[in-house]
Amino acid sequence: MAVYCIRHLTHYRYQEPVTVCHNLAHLIPRDSPGHTWTQVELDITPNASRTTRLDCFGNRTTVFTIDEPHLELRVESRGVVDLAPPRISALFPTSPWESVVNLLRGKPDGEWLAAAEFRFRSPHVDWTEEIRGWALQSFPPGRPIAEAALDLAGRVYAQFRFVSGATNVSTQVAEVFERRTGVCQDFAHLAIAALRSLGLSARYVSGYLVTQPPPGGSRLIGADASHAWISLYVPEYGWMDIDPTNHLWPLEGHITVAWGRDFSDVSPLRGVILGGGKHEVTVGVDVLPADAEFNEPSEAP
Amino acid sequence: MTTDHIPIGHADLSNRARSLFSHYSPAAAVPDEMIGRDGGVRDHWQTLVRLLGELGPVELEKRWATARRLIHENGVTYNVYGDPDGMDRPWVLDALPLVFSAPEWAGLSDGLIQRARVLDMALADIYGPQRLLKDAIIPPDVIFPNPGYLRPLVGARPADHRRLHMVATDIGRCPDGSFCVLADRTQAPSGTGYALENRIVVSRAIPEIFRDCHVSRLATFFRSVRNLLQTAAPHNRDNPRVVLLTPGPYNETYFEHAYLAQYLGYTLVEGADLTVRDNRVFMKMLGGLQPVDVIFRRQDDGYCDPLELMPDSTLGIPGLVQAVHAGNVAVVNGLGSGLMESPALGAFLPRICRHLLGEELKLPSVTSYWCGHEESLRYVLDHLPQLLIKPAFNTPRQGPISMESLSAGQLDDWRQRIAADPAQFVAEAQISLSTAPVIIGNRVEARHIAFRAHLAAAGESYDVMPGGLARFSISAESMIVSMQRGGGSKDTWVLSGGPVDSFSLLSPPGLPMEISRAGGDLSSRVADNLFWLGRYIERAEAIVRLSRGIVGRLVDQNFESSTELPLLLEALSRQAQIDRADEHGKVGEAEMEEILFAPALAYGLQATLRSVYTTASLVRDRMSIDTWRIINRIDSDFSGGDLRDRRLSDRLASLDKLMISFAAFAGLAMESMSRGLAWRFLDIGRRIERSAAMVQLCRTSLCGSEPPPPNALEAVLEVADSAITYRRRYMTSLQVPLVADLLLADETNPRSLAFQLARLQEHVAQLPGNQHEARLTPVQQILLLRLTELRLMDFNTLPAVAAKESCLQSRLDSMLVDMFQVSDLLSRRYLTHAAPGRSIGASASTR
Repeated sequence: MAVYCIRHLTHYRYQEPVTVCHNLAHLIPRDSPGHTWTQVELDITPNASRTTRLDCFGNRTTVFTIDEPHLELRVESRGVVDLAPPRISALFPTSPWESVVNLLRGKPDGEWLAAAEFRFRSPHVDWTEEIRGWALQSFPPGRPIAEAALDLAGRVYAQFRFVSGATNVSTQVAEVFERRTGVCQDFAHLAIAALRSLGLSARYVSGYLVTQPPPGGSRLIGADASHAWISLYVPEYGWMDIDPTNHLWPLEGHITVAWGRDFSDVSPLRGVILGGGKHEVTVGVDVLPADAEFNEPSEAP
Repeated sequence: MTTDHIPIGHADLSNRARSLFSHYSPAAAVPDEMIGRDGGVRDHWQTLVRLLGELGPVELEKRWATARRLIHENGVTYNVYGDPDGMDRPWVLDALPLVFSAPEWAGLSDGLIQRARVLDMALADIYGPQRLLKDAIIPPDVIFPNPGYLRPLVGARPADHRRLHMVATDIGRCPDGSFCVLADRTQAPSGTGYALENRIVVSRAIPEIFRDCHVSRLATFFRSVRNLLQTAAPHNRDNPRVVLLTPGPYNETYFEHAYLAQYLGYTLVEGADLTVRDNRVFMKMLGGLQPVDVIFRRQDDGYCDPLELMPDSTLGIPGLVQAVHAGNVAVVNGLGSGLMESPALGAFLPRICRHLLGEELKLPSVTSYWCGHEESLRYVLDHLPQLLIKPAFNTPRQGPISMESLSAGQLDDWRQRIAADPAQFVAEAQISLSTAPVIIGNRVEARHIAFRAHLAAAGESYDVMPGGLARFSISAESMIVSMQRGGGSKDTWVLSGGPVDSFSLLSPPGLPMEISRAGGDLSSRVADNLFWLGRYIERAEAIVRLSRGIVGRLVDQNFESSTELPLLLEALSRQAQIDRADEHGKVGEAEMEEILFAPALAYGLQATLRSVYTTASLVRDRMSIDTWRIINRIDSDFSGGDLRDRRLSDRLASLDKLMISFAAFAGLAMESMSRGLAWRFLDIGRRIERSAAMVQLCRTSLCGSEPPPPNALEAVLEVADSAITYRRRYMTSLQVPLVADLLLADETNPRSLAFQLARLQEHVAQLPGNQHEARLTPVQQILLLRLTELRLMDFNTLPAVAAKESCLQSRLDSMLVDMFQVSDLLSRRYLTHAAPGRSIGASASTR
């Protein structure tokens, strides 16, 4: 049993007043297996009129408007989550990956339609023959799907370098593949592209990661950030989460907020503003064991 | 193409009819709409052909020349993308209508209605329970990767349970005589307004023939449209506020948007006019936000909300999707309805119809194959040369590509492209369309035709417009029937089986209407455009007045010795904001040439006239046809190229003509516009610009270190249109203080600065928020201060120029600063929130 307190702060500062802003947030956590949420709150300053609805993936989408002139916007989400241990702790036998491809193409059945949403190209997930060829190296004929997918994630981890700031929200998969650098979001998009290029269904998961303190050291507050990983459809199991950035499996300490085809379906906060001039944004995430105390909200650029 | 032609059975035609149709010989390979297989005129064309014969080709030609002028003057246009001359291409309309008999039309309507119902039900399913996917009627491959499938709309339930309110269906006649559907337009179908305009033009050109043919009227259809828009409203169903949303004047069918808004009586808006607050849509008016109940959109759905749909759209209304979810606004057609236009989905329509209605599709599409199916793919690859290839999903502006005339190498390339990603392609059988007679020059020739039928939701079913927009190919050989690629249009006549309903929307029958007086509110964007229209037209007038004075003097042989010419040239260069004086401080003729003709000069005549035209286009729905004609005339009177080389005297005549057009515009504004906010903003723009021009002129001419020569004062009075008044008052004695008083302080002179300030004072007092204020607003303070100053000014003792602040020159300089201050303050208070927003997105993941 692990209980964590989460605080996620996004802070915009504008050069000139923003007269009106309209925003869309995926900050209130969705229902997902193994997560029990309490004390979920979303604070918006200045005060905003807001509505939260479920989107077509079951995520909680919050739309809010501020129509008084403001030079700063602070959006802070908080919650306490009780995280169940992973349902499986060892690799289980799964079907050969080609049979999953055939199943997804074939007759509708059970989760089939939900899985079908996640096997096509999407705004941030595109692939080339080269990427498909690269993916196939982990998927020789007849290999069990879970084993092959973990192998693929391991290759992302081994062959790509994590470089903060190397990419931005609009960097395409082909560019990441060529440069061999990126951040978690890029590695998730790449792994999804590789899996979908083979005809499999994979989705993008956005959330938080509990940072383990270095041995003997204390937990670094503010070192946590929002994180992204992937989930693969495995018929025997349902959805299997894989983290290509950290090559951890099974996942422990991954706290799910939303999922979609790619980042564009679940971006934590975006908006349309009138006025504002230049802006600066800082984002800070704290994930703490429930017994720890929050210090002053910290912000990492 | 075969060369067999059908000879017309001459027994069918009177002598005079023969002279119009005597050379008409449609190819036998495809059916002709007018001539039957036997060579005789089809029954339902008989009356038209006989009456046209009685009219005679000469009279027809004469009347059609008038009709063409009407089309030009009414400014019926169609914009073509990617064509430098594409903006405002004149509408091509043929005098001969396309005729359908009542029974054939009834059968067609039946099929159209069934099709529209299926399309609407399919949309309701795909954005709702998705049974079509779960029951494997359609594969997920045609929905999930489809850019027309708008996920943010999944689960949204429109208040009127409908997503498809208006449908347009492009129809052609196949070689076997049956109808088939070429395409469905489901998101923002265009063509109803053009169909209506075509009808008005043709029925005015040949009214007696139109009457005797018993043609069904179109107006009943527009009654249905109005009715459906009203009943779609989630709130205020008795008197909902309906707006027509246009992407703006650069859209190909903008003419139609403005035309329909005016005809149906709705406000024409752009995305920037609307805003969302608390899940409701409002219109930004000068007096504040006004709720909107129904948006009749003529904008593609992806562009409608930058927050949830396309983030880079500047045309949308952020938050609109959420307002739809909240059930507070009806969007017609519903957002997401563009999905049904995708060719991939069209291939499944017969299956969908069987599944949803348990009926066969009565009006089939051209046979099409979605290559994502293995069997279809094999067929397509084997039969490629006989097919048209289309992208499976809607790719804007990408038409079908015919494989017919491609080389073996090109075909192989296509086979590879298709095989590499088959799900992205749809193939269609090529069909040969029927022909109809079209007047080409002096002859009547056969052209391939297709027509667009229109449907409007009515209760559980749909009403079909009895008529439509017929279009013909550019040549006898071409099968491409598209306004984008040349070709032209025709009116479509559906003969009435019974008595003709004479309903007209133009004069609503005996309904008690609420009396409403000027003083209604105005949208900020429209106010902004009218304000600038006023400024531009006055700015153009100032340039023309000065240029006319200059050219008039250049015509004179002795202009070398003219003392006033340098002064006028200087005033002109100041007006046009160019600073090119030579070392002697002289501005020459070359500069005037540039001011008159250089298109790139921001404050030159060409750019200013262009701005007049584009700004006027933005508020076209606010203008009477007469006003629009004047705008059109101003635009065509003085387009640079042809005038540059002409003689000075011709140039003078053109400038005179332009002055008359400006006067006509001003006259219509004074005499025909109601004294509401629209008129006030137009006039405010004009008064501000005229004040600035007058201050500039006086500063240039009256503030020299030496008193100006009499000739110069005379010229200034002439340019300021005040010469007659001056002469009547002071006979011939020309003195600077008298001229200054007349041009600056005399409140009875409509050209004087004081007159402009007094008018501005009146306008500003009537603007929203100012009527009941105890304190004067900053704008009112400036105006009062400056007007008082002018009233107290003693021009006899005021030095023209001096080192101190109390000279005329420094007074005028600070007046000019204040005029621009007034303009800025008014813009900030009333007009700036018309600007579009921009998207920002947090890149949140840094791990």
